[in-house]
Amino acid sequence: MEVGQMQRRLVDYTKSLFMEKGFLDAQFLQLQQLQDESNPDFVVEVVSLFFDDSEKLLNDLTMALDQPNVDFKKVDAHVHQLKGSSSSIGAQRVKNACIAFRSFCEEQNIDATLRCLQQVKQEYYLVKNKLETMLRLEQQIVAAGGSIPMIELGF
Amino acid sequence: MNSSNGNGSMSTASSSGAWDGRDQFPAGLRVLVVDDDPTCLMIFEKMLKTCLYQVTKCNKAETALSVLREHKNGFDIVISDVHMPDMDGFELLKHIDSEMDLPVILISADATKQIVMKGVTYGACDYLIKPVRIETLKNIWQHVVRKKARNTLLEIKY
Repeated sequence: MEVGQMQRRLVDYTKSLFMEKGFLDAQFLQLQQLQDESNPDFVVEVVSLFFDDSEKLLNDLTMALDQPNVDFKKVDAHVHQLKGSSSSIGAQRVKNACIAFRSFCEEQNIDATLRCLQQVKQEYYLVKNKLETMLRLEQQIVAAGGSIPMIELGF
Repeated sequence: MNSSNGNGSMSTASSSGAWDGRDQFPAGLRVLVVDDDPTCLMIFEKMLKTCLYQVTKCNKAETALSVLREHKNGFDIVISDVHMPDMDGFELLKHIDSEMDLPVILISADATKQIVMKGVTYGACDYLIKPVRIETLKNIWQHVVRKKARNTLLEIKY
């Protein structure tokens, strides 16, 4: 596939992540704008950090909700952190799932919180998959000597 | 004696006057950023560096406090997350307020009116909600200037 085609494919894919599915929001664009020659791998680094951190949080959440006496304060603290990091990355659907999760933590509703955990995990793995695909497309373009096109989204 | 400005003022070694004579201000603003979330900390650091600030980052409030104590007058402003496991942003703010004279900005993913109110009444000069945009960070120097101006006025009064 030649570079122009790859670039068009990336633009279309990225646009769909924002517009149609709402996986990413304007905050992600902020991160892309921070990337420059002095820090050409910034987005990949931050996203990788987010993946590592989130998976740890999701494990902690799973364990915390698996206790006989659930400590909802602890659960809420973990969800709060995930809300913060996902919103800072621009992972909109993960952030929204966290917001719902926190309201059920407040109610100390064990069934609802377990469902929320599943929901958050689902959204997380979805956005992880999308981001990995997008970053792979970018890598292919760079490897073929092309440059990453700027996405105009009018936010 | 060659006086280049007409007002005859002397540049004094004021308490934390490192910013006064710098032509590139607010570039070089010395910021300490504290957040236990590694993703957020990395993003803040990059954003602050893009603003041309001098950034030091900490992932623990206790560490931040040691750094501030060891480097009195080494920082112009502190930005801290509210929810941290060992010491939270409010406690850090109280310590900084009682021991040093630094503007502190609190940040959180929590946006309830109660918590923002708490931040402001505890003495935070601002309370930002995550996700923070770089445009917001570009303006934080105003808090440094405002505090210095207030302090100067107090000195003159008394």
